[in-house]
Amino acid sequence: MRSDRVEQLLAFYRGMLRIRLFEEKILDVMLPGRMFRGSSHLSIGQEAVAVGVVSALGPQDYLITSHRGHGHCLARGMDMEGAFAEIMGRSTGVCAGKGGSMHLSARDLGILGENPVVGSSAPMAAGAALALRMQGSHGVVACFFGEGAINTGAFHEAVNLAALWSLPVVFVCENNRYAISVPVDVASARAKAIHERALGYGIEGHRIDGMNVLDVYDISMAAIEKARREGRPSFLVFDTYRFVGHHTADSEHYRPKDEVLQEFRAHDPIHFVERSVADDCIVDMTELVRIRDEVRAEVDAAFARALGAPWPSPEDALGGAYVETSASFTCTGLPG
Amino acid sequence: MSDPQAMRNITYAQAIRTALREEMKRDERVVLWGEDIGVYGGVYGATTGLQREFGTERVRDTPISEMAIVGMGVGAALLGLRPVVEIMYEDFLAHAADGVVNQAAKWGYMSGGQYRVPLVVRSPGGGGSGYAAQHSQNLEAWFAHIPGLIVVATCMPRDARGLLKAAIRDDNPVVFLEHKGHYTYKGDVPRDEEVLPLGKADIKRPGRDVTIVAWSKALVAALSAADELASEGIDAEVIDPRTLLPLDMDTILASVGRTRHLVVVSESHAYCGVSAEISAQVCERAFGELKRPPKRVGSHFVPLPYSEPMESYVIPDAARVAEAVRGLLA
Ligand SMILES: Cc1ncc(C[n+]2csc(CCOP(=O)(O)OP(=O)(O)O)c2C)c(N)n1
Repeated sequence: MRSDRVEQLLAFYRGMLRIRLFEEKILDVMLPGRMFRGSSHLSIGQEAVAVGVVSALGPQDYLITSHRGHGHCLARGMDMEGAFAEIMGRSTGVCAGKGGSMHLSARDLGILGENPVVGSSAPMAAGAALALRMQGSHGVVACFFGEGAINTGAFHEAVNLAALWSLPVVFVCENNRYAISVPVDVASARAKAIHERALGYGIEGHRIDGMNVLDVYDISMAAIEKARREGRPSFLVFDTYRFVGHHTADSEHYRPKDEVLQEFRAHDPIHFVERSVADDCIVDMTELVRIRDEVRAEVDAAFARALGAPWPSPEDALGGAYVETSASFTCTGLPG
Repeated sequence: MSDPQAMRNITYAQAIRTALREEMKRDERVVLWGEDIGVYGGVYGATTGLQREFGTERVRDTPISEMAIVGMGVGAALLGLRPVVEIMYEDFLAHAADGVVNQAAKWGYMSGGQYRVPLVVRSPGGGGSGYAAQHSQNLEAWFAHIPGLIVVATCMPRDARGLLKAAIRDDNPVVFLEHKGHYTYKGDVPRDEEVLPLGKADIKRPGRDVTIVAWSKALVAALSAADELASEGIDAEVIDPRTLLPLDMDTILASVGRTRHLVVVSESHAYCGVSAEISAQVCERAFGELKRPPKRVGSHFVPLPYSEPMESYVIPDAARVAEAVRGLLA
């Protein structure tokens, strides 16, 4: 392996660990400690897609993601403390406590936001790409969603328009094989070849191992450049798996425990890097241990700071429904 | 002989499941589909075990395709099935709105009465669970604005069972709104079959001093406010309309005629809400009975925020209801 490729691999390793340890904090500490509300959708097992695709984006590019978007946001550089604080509902959260785990957002990083309404991000991505093109930018929009989203009308309407109008969008489908409890082959016609849906729209569709971060990166680079240079959208389907429940309150009785264990043993994307590095004696294992220790320290520190952050006051709820330019729209004439 | 008074203390989710099960046994045209309703039993457990009992033909897991879930429900209803479809969150009725609003509500009328649409669309709404702005809305007013629909919004186990059965038997399309914060709420439900009438309000607590109309989970806030007020010597009557379209104004007007004061409470926004309709009708039809203008209590007019202190501030609680009543009677 060339030395620049090794550097890259180690950077990806760090990036994936940041997501893994961030989300393990949610699962192992915040969940039993009741430190967040509702439920949180973790991407444990899917980190290679987040890091591989997002690393291929440039500074002028944008991303929009789903309810399972912590990884994409962190890979794009979202402040970890701000993300923790948001999930805890603190006023210092990236959305000031208004959004929570399913609505992380960071405009300055080109993160349009997490959109948990399945399918709805696809037309928004196409619209954002149209805006970029009309404004003369060379930016590209990456749109992340699960394989469940490809059966919404919104997805098909968006892909058709992106193809028709030559919009710079990369549609990134993370096929983790389940939409909550429903397996991909129960929900999708030709489940083994969903990437071929692209053919109907005359755009490229690829199916790639989403557990190999280098492969993810390479195909994403190609797709993003194609979108940037030629205005051709693509549809990338990454085979992946979530090692945890749909969300933190999922009983998971729709899939055998063995399956999860086997997938974890055979395909953990983080272990994949460790193995490939160790097998080829590319870097000293102590280097990996050092990275892990650094990431752990980073996550612990961000978590501790977020935990000390203030709560919003109840009345903070009332601001922000409208841009405060003209009239005050809080005047519906009513308290409620 | 079974005792007609005999009750079972069951959850709201069990009550819904009971209604579905009874109606599926009674009428083989009743079929269910929706996301995660089969193997998983619904994300709130309302359909647990039904696929095992009735098979995958009658209880179907669908893809995430809200437009098709409802649209197919309309098509199947036109040809004689009686589909009960589930939209996992009321918010996503926005995706399925065409089927409900443009198709189900109008097909019977537009065809000059040739067709009917015996479809039930079940969907949980409501906040209080920390699911933020896109998983918490109460959209009953959207649907209550559409002629041709029946709109039910109820949160008590007995009402849910009896009204869901009526909804399934009715030949009109019914939007059946549930509250996600109530699936584990327990209440007494008759062991024997009970079908409750659509379009009929229920007086949950009789009282003399003020009429509080409240539905869905806001009813619970209204009832505890009534308890609180009782200790201050204020005797509140609490009415649950249960069906919001058609609305049982007779029961409400009769109550206002006795108490001469009206407070309408909903978790949805008061602005352009069903509470606006109720208070307008009372003003139009019983202005002379009122000692004071009616008052409305609803969620503050913002999308629902995630963080706990903000969320609980936005949604009306018993204290806010009691405060409104005190203000009215002061
Ligand atoms: C329009 C819409 N319908 C239903 C849901 C409820 N829901 C949330 S996540 C989910 C499954 C999504 O599966 P997939 O798209 O494969 O993404 P994954 O959760 O596997 O990442 C469903 C049905 C939703 N959020 N939005």
